[in-house]
This record gives sequence, C-alpha cells and structure tokens, in this order.
Amino acid sequence: MSPAALLRRVAPVLACIGLLAVWQVASLALKNDSFPTATEAIRAIPDILGDKESLINILASLRRMALGFGVAVLVSIPLGLLMGRSRSVAAFFNPLLMVIYPVPKAALMPIIMLWLGVGDVTKTLVIFLGVSLPVIYHSFEGAKAVEEKMLWSGAAMGLSPAQRLVRIVLPAALPEILTGCRTGLVLALITMITSEMIARQSGAGNILFNALDMGQYDTVFAMIIIVGAMGICLDAIFERVRARLVRWSEPQFDMPLSFS
Amino acid sequence: MTVVPARSSQWVRPVTSQEPASAIIEIDHVSQIFQTSARKDHVALSDISLTIEEGAFVSILGPSGCGKSTLLYIVGGFVSPTSGSAKIKGHAITGPGPDRGPVFQEFALFPWKTVLGNVMYGPRQQGVRAAEAEAQSRALIEMVGLKGYENFYPKELSGGMKQRVALARTLAYHPEVLLMDEPFGALDAHTRTRLQNDLLSIWERDRKTVLFVTHSVDEAVFLSDKVVMMSKSPGRIREVIDIDLPRPRRRNELLLDPRYQKYVVDIERMFDESDEAGPAS
Ligand SMILES: Nc1ncnc2c1ncn2[C@@H]1O[C@H](COP(=O)(O)OP(=O)(O)OP(=O)(O)O)[C@@H](O)[C@H]1O
Ligand SMILES: [Mg+2]
Repeated sequence: MSPAALLRRVAPVLACIGLLAVWQVASLALKNDSFPTATEAIRAIPDILGDKESLINILASLRRMALGFGVAVLVSIPLGLLMGRSRSVAAFFNPLLMVIYPVPKAALMPIIMLWLGVGDVTKTLVIFLGVSLPVIYHSFEGAKAVEEKMLWSGAAMGLSPAQRLVRIVLPAALPEILTGCRTGLVLALITMITSEMIARQSGAGNILFNALDMGQYDTVFAMIIIVGAMGICLDAIFERVRARLVRWSEPQFDMPLSFS
Repeated sequence: MTVVPARSSQWVRPVTSQEPASAIIEIDHVSQIFQTSARKDHVALSDISLTIEEGAFVSILGPSGCGKSTLLYIVGGFVSPTSGSAKIKGHAITGPGPDRGPVFQEFALFPWKTVLGNVMYGPRQQGVRAAEAEAQSRALIEMVGLKGYENFYPKELSGGMKQRVALARTLAYHPEVLLMDEPFGALDAHTRTRLQNDLLSIWERDRKTVLFVTHSVDEAVFLSDKVVMMSKSPGRIREVIDIDLPRPRRRNELLLDPRYQKYVVDIERMFDESDEAGPAS
C-alpha cells in the first residue's frame, strides 16, 4: 500500500482520536460535573451495551429507522423519477413538497402523536418524512438531468415509456439518487433520536434523555458516542454499496459524510 | 491496412438500376418552428420536401445551424414537425421505432454499460438470445476498431472511440434506415477514412437506406448517391445533387477521378455561397 493510500485508511481513525483528545483536555480544563472526560464516557459504554434492556432499546430504534428509511426510499425514488420526467406530475407534487420541505419533521411529531399515539408508527412515520424529501429531491434532479438523446436512443430500440423510466432514467440518475439516499440516511438517524426525545418510551434517544434527567452525564456522553459510531458505520456501509453501484460514473474522492 | 475488409468483396455487387427504386421516406412540406427563450419564433426548417429511395445513400450538407439535426430528428420520430408530414413506407411517422436507427452527434451512450453492454442493448431488447447478441456485438466492436475495449465504460473512452461505439450500437439492431448525425465528426483523418470505407462496404452489402449529415463535402461526395444542400436562416433545401459515380467506390481511385473532383469543387463553391448568406438576424 502506498503512503498516500495508507494515510487515507488511517485518516478517519486519527480524526477520531484527535477529537477524543480535544474532548479530554477540554473536560479536564473545565472541571464541570455535567461534562465528563472522554475516558469516563468511554468507560460507560460497556455498561450500556452489556445491559439487555438498553440493547433492546437500541435495536428498537434501529428497526424503526430501517423501516422508515426503507419505505421512504422505495416510495421516493419512483415519485422523484416520475416528477423529473413528467411536467404534470412535477407541477402537482412540487408545491406540496415545497410546503413540507422547510418544516422540521420533528415539529410535526406532537400532531402525529395525537392521531397515532406515541408508539412505533408515529416515530417511523416521522423518520419516513425526514428521509423522503431529500431522496425525492435528488431523484427528481437526477431524472431531469438525463440526456434526452439517451432516451431517444432507447425509444429507437423499442423501449416503452415505462421501460425507459426503469432501464434508462433510473440507472442514469442513480449517482444523484444515491447522493439523496446518503443525506436521507443521516437524516434518518437524526429524526430517529429526536422522535425518541419527544415521545419517550423506548429507543436510544430514550436512554440518552433519561440519563440526562437523572444527571448520569457519563451515560449521556456514552450514548452520544454510540449514536455517532452508528452513524459512521451506517455511512461507511452505505458508501461501500454506493461505490459498487456507480463504479461507472465519475471517479471521485470518497470521504464519509460524517467527516466532511 | 486493408481499405475494404477482404471478406466484404463477396457481397459487393455492382449497382445497376434494374429494379425501380421505391420511396422509403417521404418528407412533405415540413416546417419546424422553435420558440426561443426570448419568446420569439425561430424558423429552423422551412418547407422541406424530400423523397428518399429505398437503399439510397443520401447526405445532408449545410452550414452549422441550418437544421440538419432537426430534419433527422423528424425522420426519427423524436420531434414532430410544426407543419407538414413525414412518412416511412407510406405510413405517417408518429414516433421512434427500431426501423430507424439514429447515431447522434452527442453519442448518447449509456454510461452505466460497458462498450459491449451498449452494443448488445438493442439486440437484447429485440429479443436476440444473449450468446448470439454477444457474438454479433463483439464482431461489430472489432469492425469499428475497438477490439480489446469491450469491458471499458464510456467515461474511459476518447471522443472518437465513443463515436465508434455509438455507430456499432445502432448497427447492432439492424435498422432499415440509418440516421447518422455527423457520425465521423470527432474522428482523426485516418480513422475517419477507415470508417467511411467500412460504412460503404456495410452499405454495399446490406443496402440499408442511409440519411447522413455531414459538414464535409469530400465525405458527402465519396459516400452518397445524392447530396442535399441546405441553406440557413431559414433552413431550406437549396439544391439536390445526384452523385453519378460508379460503385463500388474505392477511395484511391475516386480521388483521381476528374468527375469526383468536379463534384467536390462545385459543391464547395455552393457551400461557400450559402455560408456567405449568413444568418438573417
Ligand atoms: N430545442 C430547440 N429550441 C429552440 N431552437 C432550436 C432547438 N433545436 C434547434 N434549434 C435551432 O434550430 C436551428 C437548427 O438546429 P440544428 O441542430 O438542427 O442545426 P444543425 O444543422 O444540425 O447544426 P450543426 O451542424 O451545428 O449540428 C438552430 O438555429 C437552433 O438554434
Ligand atoms: Mg446538428
């Protein structure tokens, strides 16, 4: 492995170590009860991960997130592609989406809770909403940008409009769609935690905010590390998949979003 | 370098006009008006009428912006004319179809497919079995001089190589009419000559109808039965010139032929005149 490649490999690890070191120094300097040192927080991690209750909570979070993200992607990609290729579909959905886009999805939670209760459905729905918009938007932009002559070539080969959407627009827009999915993944994690902050009951967010209420700051920060690590892992996995799917498109420098 | 693939000679038959040629494409008083972003009407094509006989090689020659591509798109069924009609085999053209194969100026390759994947796409779509489609496609890729590049993605190819893939991709599904928009525009002189020869030998073998847009007078005279000269602003047909040169044509013979030279000189003069006319702004 060349030195540059080696550096690329270890760079994220160095960044993590650096961040923890700054934290450690800052916390020692501030000597504040509500700001434990990095080592204290790290020491609390095994307690959380060793506790069956906590694990069930975290897994419940992840399950809601996977469901919300998965359904959002499955609905948003076709919708975005249709909007990108049909002016009337775009004219219908664009104003709707423009209204929803700037609203923080967590702000809708109290209303949704009134209708659907504080359970899984509400939280999954909020994650779904958070993920949908960037995925729709990027699919829309990707589909709009597909070179017309490419569609014409397909039409000349005898592809029907539906086949062109699936077999030309979808692959051609895939790099852009996956950019949207990546943003969606991060938003899924964020909405997952916020939804659990608003509707406490179970989940990683629940552990975090309960600990905060009880003044167990090492647990609070341990949970922040755990959530951050989940983000990094999910992003790294996603990046693997993405790179494999769009190898044919432009060469690029890959830097996990979590570090950018 | 073999000028014409040795194999092809067995298919080359002298062109005789024993059978009465029938019209395959009829363009009847076609006009195309575009709305510009300044909300003004821009007449790209004005009252074009043209009949193309089955098996003919027809070139369209004219200054940039005179509507050559637009005319090709209308025949392809990608654009419907503002007025007038276009027919193929007596049926009105309402949309694209595999009977007309376009080779676009912009290549429009599928970037997520390899060279082989691009070339196989048409035959596969037409239901040719994978193994058969692959064998045919590999032969075509070799013909356009890209053997060894089968597994390259379009982004890994040069402009000229992309153009050759685009040509192979269209030839692969055997359209009856080839609609070629400056297909050799991005090629170096050497490759250009070679592909002209290859195209001629394919054409002499299969007698597909070819509608061929070009900027090059040499190329138009060398390849065509008929050269359609267009002029600009608005785009209209200025002159249709029959190229009465014997076939099969050999480049080295033709370049020395005074009749060929006269065609080139005459058409070049016309071209200059229509260029001087300039845009009526
Ligand atoms: N979609 C469009 N909207 C508006 N104007 C257009 C459009 N397409 C083409 N035109 C105009 O129509 C005219 C003819 O364009 P076209 O592309 O057919 O020219 P061309 O002869 O192929 O030129 P070139 O040799 O440079 O390729 C041009 O003046 C161009 O500005
Ligand atoms: Mg053109």
